[in-house]
Amino acid sequence: MRARAVLALFLLLTSCTPSEPKKGVSSRRIVSLAPSVTETLFAIGAQAEIIGICTFCDFPREVEKIDRVGSYSAPNVETIIAKRPDVVIGVPPNNPEAIATLRQLGIRVVIVEVDTIEQIRAAIRTIAQEAGRVAQGESLLSEMDTRMAAIRARLEGAPQRRVLMVVGQEPLIAVGSGIFLNELITQAHGINIAADANQPWTRFSLEVAVAKQPEVIIDGSMGSEENDKSEYLGIWKSFPTIPAVRDGRVHGTRSYTVLRPGPRLPDGFEEIARLIHPERFQESHE
Amino acid sequence: MSYLTKQKWLLVNSALAIALILSLVLCAAIGAEHISLAQIWHSPSLDNPEAVIFFRIRLPRVLLAVIVGGALGVAGAALQALLHNPLACPHLIGVSGGASLCGILALVSTSVLASHTPEFVRLSFVSVAAFAGAIGTTVLIYRLALVHGRLQPYALLLTGVVFNAFCSALIMLVNSLVDFYQSHAILFWLMGSLATHDYVTVGLTSLYVLIGVTWLIAQGRRLNLLSLGEEGALQLGVDIETLRRGIFLAASLLVGAIVAVSGMIGFVGLIVPHLLRLVFGADHRLLLPASLFGGALFLVWADTLARTVASPSELPVGVVTAMCGGPFFLYLLRKEGRKVFVQ
Repeated sequence: MRARAVLALFLLLTSCTPSEPKKGVSSRRIVSLAPSVTETLFAIGAQAEIIGICTFCDFPREVEKIDRVGSYSAPNVETIIAKRPDVVIGVPPNNPEAIATLRQLGIRVVIVEVDTIEQIRAAIRTIAQEAGRVAQGESLLSEMDTRMAAIRARLEGAPQRRVLMVVGQEPLIAVGSGIFLNELITQAHGINIAADANQPWTRFSLEVAVAKQPEVIIDGSMGSEENDKSEYLGIWKSFPTIPAVRDGRVHGTRSYTVLRPGPRLPDGFEEIARLIHPERFQESHE
Repeated sequence: MSYLTKQKWLLVNSALAIALILSLVLCAAIGAEHISLAQIWHSPSLDNPEAVIFFRIRLPRVLLAVIVGGALGVAGAALQALLHNPLACPHLIGVSGGASLCGILALVSTSVLASHTPEFVRLSFVSVAAFAGAIGTTVLIYRLALVHGRLQPYALLLTGVVFNAFCSALIMLVNSLVDFYQSHAILFWLMGSLATHDYVTVGLTSLYVLIGVTWLIAQGRRLNLLSLGEEGALQLGVDIETLRRGIFLAASLLVGAIVAVSGMIGFVGLIVPHLLRLVFGADHRLLLPASLFGGALFLVWADTLARTVASPSELPVGVVTAMCGGPFFLYLLRKEGRKVFVQ
């Protein structure tokens, strides 16, 4: 830790002059350290300005052409410095030490929180501002709002259904509260039975899951519905009294990448809404 | 230390056994959800959600806690005698590291293979791989620790510690190469869990554990002689080499199976034998069966706490065993410490 600080100081004193954040609109050099940030940059048309992304960034397909600067949890400080970025945009799980080193070296680092829908909206604004594309950011937001509203309209009058959304079975890891996925469930006329766990991801009690009788189970550990027709139910097979299991409403998510806290939020919302209330989406799918 | 009599043996073990049976019933009745045993008695069918919770979730889990806790207790007591080392615990001899590494490799590859393998294979693949890793590690460490054809405690200890460190480095390597969700799955698997809904697993594990535990308990008298020191034991006609190899193999195979079904649950195998030794003396004829019951009791209650304190969330049971066991053990060591050092 100390060695890293000394090295950082050494680099600071000997080699580079800290790059001044440019105020101009054109040709920013941006490094993105999270898939949702990369997706946002593409959605506001700033793809030409991205000079580096993290290894988890996989959407849209054009990201293949962009250089990688290390993983989500361990961005490579040297690679990033060598790219001479004007701004590095990341999310809180990015390694704080790497972030601190970059900042010490005078590189502008912006960290956006993306836990709740409100934070996701604010993050899109911030990213648009950093990319000098405020107007595009606003139009992206209003486009997203329109799509979300259209899905909400489809659901009007739909009954409230008890929902359990998990990403792992043994142990059971469920979507709790304080995370946009919980908000999406609620907006989709669902009642998240794990919401009172009061943490975003919770190691949920299986017996509470059984006792609360979820009507829909969205299980990310089961793979995607389209690829996997083996009807793998895992632990749920042992609990035929759960309404979701009894009525065949245990679903894998189509893809986790749809459920990212970025511009594809309406896609994630539609995915969740479709799984909770399939009868409202019959004409548009299959 | 008082001399071990038949009465004391019977008294201690039956008291512990009764306490265990009572705890079993009580802990199966306690949980995150309130269920009424009377109602389950009246309608035990699996159409009744309360019966489902009792029979498919709590009972197998409590039973698994008994098996795992008991096996860890006995393995810990036997290894402390074998290695002449109070720090010895079931996870020290390397076999846990090997089992975890193989389990994790299986865990990572199953999600890659996810949609191409039948359900049965996926359910047991991780456990089977971990168990295979445990057997492989046992053989490997056994070979490495043989010095001039003899199994030396210090060599065994060092080999185990180094091998564990090596395995955890490899686990970290795997963890840094996989994606976000997989690295979480690895973390949870490493923390250990007794959650099971599968009586076949419980049945097979208990059968296996019973064989190993019975053999180890039967070695009580010879372990007593071994703790007198090598020469003393030789003079009294103990074939030390065979005994050491037997104890090591039995304990390793026991621990390997336990890690395969429940991951790394620490502290049980370390503190339960120590605690019982402080209270009942160091005679292995009593200590080994008492560690069986004591380990089971401790883990059943620790898991009940893990299931209930943060409800509807659950805590990793290894956290609870460490948080309950650690301070209590230090307190006891401070209070009764002289006894430990005199022995």
